[in-house]
Amino acid sequence: MKKLVMVLAVALLLACACVGYAADKPKVTIYTSMYEDIIEAMTFVLQEKFPDYDIEFFYGGTGTLQAKIAAERDTKKLGCDMLMVADPSYALELKELGLLHAYLSKEAGNLSLEYDPEGYWYPVRNLNMILAYNPEKFKKEDLPQSFKDFAYNEAMKGLISMPNPLTAGTAQVAVSALKDKYGYEYFDKLAANRVMVESGSVALTKLETGECKMVMILEESVLKKREEENSALEVIYPADGTICVPSPIMTVKDEWSAHGNAKICEELTDWFLSPEGQGYIVKGWMHSVLKNPPAIPYDSINTAEIVTNSMPVSWENCLRDRSELRTNFEERVKNKI
Amino acid sequence: MFFTPFGAALFETGGNRVSVQASFQENKRFHLDVKAALITAIVAFLLVFNVFPMAYLVFRSFFGENGFTLETFKRIYTYPLNWNALRNTLVTAGLSMVFGVMIAFPLAWLVGRTDMYGRKFFRTLFVMTYMVPPYVGAMAWLRLLNPRVGTLNVFLANLFGLSENPLNIYSIGGLVWVLTTFYYPYAFITISRAMEKMDPSLEEASKISGASPLKTVMTVTFPVMLPSIVAAGLLVFVSAASCYGIPSIIGAPGQIDTVTTRIIDYVYVGSAEGLTDATTLAVSLMLIANLVLYVSTFICGKKQYITVSGKSTRPNIMELGRWRLPVTLLVTAFALIVVVIPFATVAMASFTTNLGKPLSASNFTTRYWHILFTRKGILDTVKNSLLSASIAATAGIAISCVMAWLLTRTQAKGRRIPDFLITVGSGTPSVVIALALIMTMSGRFGINIYNTLTIMIVAYMVKYLLMGMRTVVSAMSQIHPSLEEASLISGAEWQRSFWDVTLPLIAPSVVAGWFLIFMPSFYELTMSTLLYSTDTKTIGYELFTYQTYHSQQTASAIATGILGMVVIVNWILNKLTKGEFSI
Repeated sequence: MKKLVMVLAVALLLACACVGYAADKPKVTIYTSMYEDIIEAMTFVLQEKFPDYDIEFFYGGTGTLQAKIAAERDTKKLGCDMLMVADPSYALELKELGLLHAYLSKEAGNLSLEYDPEGYWYPVRNLNMILAYNPEKFKKEDLPQSFKDFAYNEAMKGLISMPNPLTAGTAQVAVSALKDKYGYEYFDKLAANRVMVESGSVALTKLETGECKMVMILEESVLKKREEENSALEVIYPADGTICVPSPIMTVKDEWSAHGNAKICEELTDWFLSPEGQGYIVKGWMHSVLKNPPAIPYDSINTAEIVTNSMPVSWENCLRDRSELRTNFEERVKNKI
Repeated sequence: MFFTPFGAALFETGGNRVSVQASFQENKRFHLDVKAALITAIVAFLLVFNVFPMAYLVFRSFFGENGFTLETFKRIYTYPLNWNALRNTLVTAGLSMVFGVMIAFPLAWLVGRTDMYGRKFFRTLFVMTYMVPPYVGAMAWLRLLNPRVGTLNVFLANLFGLSENPLNIYSIGGLVWVLTTFYYPYAFITISRAMEKMDPSLEEASKISGASPLKTVMTVTFPVMLPSIVAAGLLVFVSAASCYGIPSIIGAPGQIDTVTTRIIDYVYVGSAEGLTDATTLAVSLMLIANLVLYVSTFICGKKQYITVSGKSTRPNIMELGRWRLPVTLLVTAFALIVVVIPFATVAMASFTTNLGKPLSASNFTTRYWHILFTRKGILDTVKNSLLSASIAATAGIAISCVMAWLLTRTQAKGRRIPDFLITVGSGTPSVVIALALIMTMSGRFGINIYNTLTIMIVAYMVKYLLMGMRTVVSAMSQIHPSLEEASLISGAEWQRSFWDVTLPLIAPSVVAGWFLIFMPSFYELTMSTLLYSTDTKTIGYELFTYQTYHSQQTASAIATGILGMVVIVNWILNKLTKGEFSI
């Protein structure tokens, strides 16, 4: 019997490594598609700047979060108070659904990019879909310099990778822009080149090991690797235009939000749009949305230069065609037999 | 007594029971009520959280917003992609089942019935594989066998002077390989348990009659084991068919979809249709699983229980003679390829800065381990998983003990009903359970546990209860009722005799059963992917997101951490109980 008691004690110990914490501070939960490393840094900063609030991020790809919010709408309460997802067209949708809280930020005037005139959403970070390669394994001049060549160049067959529009908002925007520019033929070419559809970390590892020659990926994930891990991976800003995704920040209406702290969310919005907040966005390897950016991300080029040479994106198309694009991508690219 | 494929003791040993029954007679009314109440409680739990959600799922796929319709069905099942996925699922799960059993049976026999060197070590090693998340295997094999630069691939190409790398993990074959090497432990555990309690006198008789060891295995051991082998195969089939992590990691680059990945994609399409489509596709997965379950229970599983005696004698150990060393070497090679190399690959990745270069002093880092132990996000998920898995395991093992008692010590009417339902629950693909729970438990029918840990716990219990129950039932049926009778005759109450006699005897199995529920719940991925919420993210899901989105090295550190935890817990259990309890 003693032995059994001991065993039960071990089991109990395992179970008791849990138990909650008591924080009476007003809480704000932010659904975001920022990388966990950036979330961690951001949480730390916010704790210092807003010691009276308990601010928590919850990570998910835009597609994942959309599925989650779709399910949560059924229960008449979302699990979050703010959203910082990637795909700007989702802001249009949420606004239309009447889920968002309007607030005119005092920082709005300094923005270089379009924002909602009624204050339902603001761009907060500029994400760039680019091409990346590994100079330790391949020469730059042997590789495609444009998104078009990336899909159409048969020499790349089986050696390329891109993110999944079903789960990643930026990928959704990218395929929407590419489809507008090149038609669904672009999807078929990707399929013919046997593009591997996978996410950031997998793709970057494949560049490092040389399994892939080139990947379509977010600029920030390459820059991060360069700064933190001294990686040699390099960015190519595509000749047919970088796909810029001005990712929005938005607040959920009190009657829908998890904690009903819209006033606090307003403060947070102002901070994120301020030069100080933008400084941390840039530290997280993303580009600022201000007319006068406080800095540019490590090893990147001027934000204005990227925006000038960007591929046009129609947010209306992005929103309207979302299901169609995803289904087409599924059929033409992901499941090409 | 012998437990059937699905944990039930389908026949009674007869004689011995009479006296026990007799001693219960005086208090008959009371005991009957206890039994009936227990059965009702367990059945009620399973009806609410298992049967009803599944039924609703089927209902929803036929009844849309506007009444009965076959539209969705037609759309989903005339879609070539889905057929492809269905075919891939059947092929990969079917092959994994066959190979898994083909590996597990000889291993279980060697470990359980022969004098192979290091039996105990190998046993722990193979069971240990059950204790780590299967998709960790996918992570490892991705690095070892990718067609361009896979470490093992390059090594083999150099070794044999090939111009091309010989293997490609991004294929049906690759998928089967990873599924098999990570799901065979399910079969190994099931078959081992049965083998340990098989009556050795049958084998002895065969030997005495002059049969060779091999002939004995083929003509006696194998046929007697058949029901457990079928059960083991089923378990592998269902686990492989409902697995999400492995096909999503291995299948994506090779553009191989399975039903599970399709279902989750449908959910992620995010449109209103998405969930209905997912549901409709899930119905087919459920039907396949139930069909396999039915066939194996009622067609293959009907016979042979009579050949296993109720007496538990210590199984005799077969001497391998001159085969002892070669066989041990073979098993060692197997363990090296299937267990050591993949785990070592993952462990090494957790210390490597640049995965494109070999692990060296300049390429060595501990920052990913630092992240593992300091990042609040990860620690929170560990907490959630520890909590939900411990509760699921503890509640699950309590039900298992009750079921074991009902099945092996009583004649209570209806005791097979919960047993049957538990079997159905485990036979249902995880993704189906999760979808069904989401649709029924988010307030529509008066219960709202969506977005809470409770829904996770419920899902884990429905899915993994069987493993625990089977273990306890099997242990219980090995204990001769005469021991309890002795206690009863000496004047002990039945509660007391249970506490003082039965429990200590089955305790090791209770602990083992607890872990068999705890571990898969702890790292569960497929159901958690659909059920997690802001406050209930689990370590399995976190590991998966790190692997695919943030950092493969951090993911490797988490996976290695889980493995380390299993090893440590096993070691502590061993030490505390002087070798009596271990995983």
